[in-house]
Amino acid sequence: MKKSITRALPLAVLALAVTAGAVVAQESAGMPQATRLAEQNLRPYWHVFAAYALVILVVGGWAVSIARRLKAIEERLVD
Amino acid sequence: MSTAGMRRGGTALTLLGLLGLITLYWMAFFWVPTEVNQGVVQRIFYIHVPAAWTSFLAIGFAALASGMYLWLRDERLDRAALCAIEGGLVFATLVLTTGPLWGKIAWGTYWTWEPRLTLTLLLWFIFIGYFMVRNATEDPEKGKRFAAVVAIVGAIDIPFIHLSVVWFRSLHPEPVVARPDGPTLPGDMLLTLLFGVLVFTVLFFGLFLFRYAVEGLRAEADLRARSAA
Repeated sequence: MKKSITRALPLAVLALAVTAGAVVAQESAGMPQATRLAEQNLRPYWHVFAAYALVILVVGGWAVSIARRLKAIEERLVD
Repeated sequence: MSTAGMRRGGTALTLLGLLGLITLYWMAFFWVPTEVNQGVVQRIFYIHVPAAWTSFLAIGFAALASGMYLWLRDERLDRAALCAIEGGLVFATLVLTTGPLWGKIAWGTYWTWEPRLTLTLLLWFIFIGYFMVRNATEDPEKGKRFAAVVAIVGAIDIPFIHLSVVWFRSLHPEPVVARPDGPTLPGDMLLTLLFGVLVFTVLFFGLFLFRYAVEGLRAEADLRARSAA
């Protein structure tokens, strides 16, 4: 078992070096890196979530602002 | 309608609107299919267009109330215009923030000075201008009259915003629902959009009634303060 691991280790290191080299080569050739591709694909989702969150924040903010003013006026009327 | 009635009506409509908003979010995220050309970012359309519709409704309503205020000098009409303008500002802000989020993906830029965007920004400044003009005079009555004129001028901007994509060379997509030859959207997308318009309208009127109740109580408090003095 230990022998096979010792034999496989240089191969794994070689595979890693080749993969890293390929990524660096792609990067230098101006090709998008895997992580950048993932970011590009996920970006529209973030924009959609941000837009839908804005609706809740802005309309909710208006509702809270009205509620605060209503409370303040009611307190003023009680006084 | 009494202040208590306004609050009851406002509560009922706002709760209905919130329930509708949850349903709209479910429809937009899980029910309606993804548009083929634009992808997932097209889903912003289901909140962007209803927000635009509501801001137009608000300025139209405010202009009508303002015109009647200039004619009849009834304070309730001025209060209604003020509350509608505040709501209009909220929904116009949503239009101007959700639109660029779509534009960044679809056009590659958050903002471009094309006719519809520029005229919508102008509408947003008209909403702001309403409050500035209202508070700029020492005589509050004069401020109310000037602000009423601003609301009427603001409503004139609406047909220009709607038709700017037809009249001028524009990046903004052309209307897909309000067209002379009928809507061009597939049934499920049209249903989601129309439901969004309904939900935003209900939310606007619900919160408008609450806001109007605040102004009614404020007028009552001012009256009491004046009589006490």
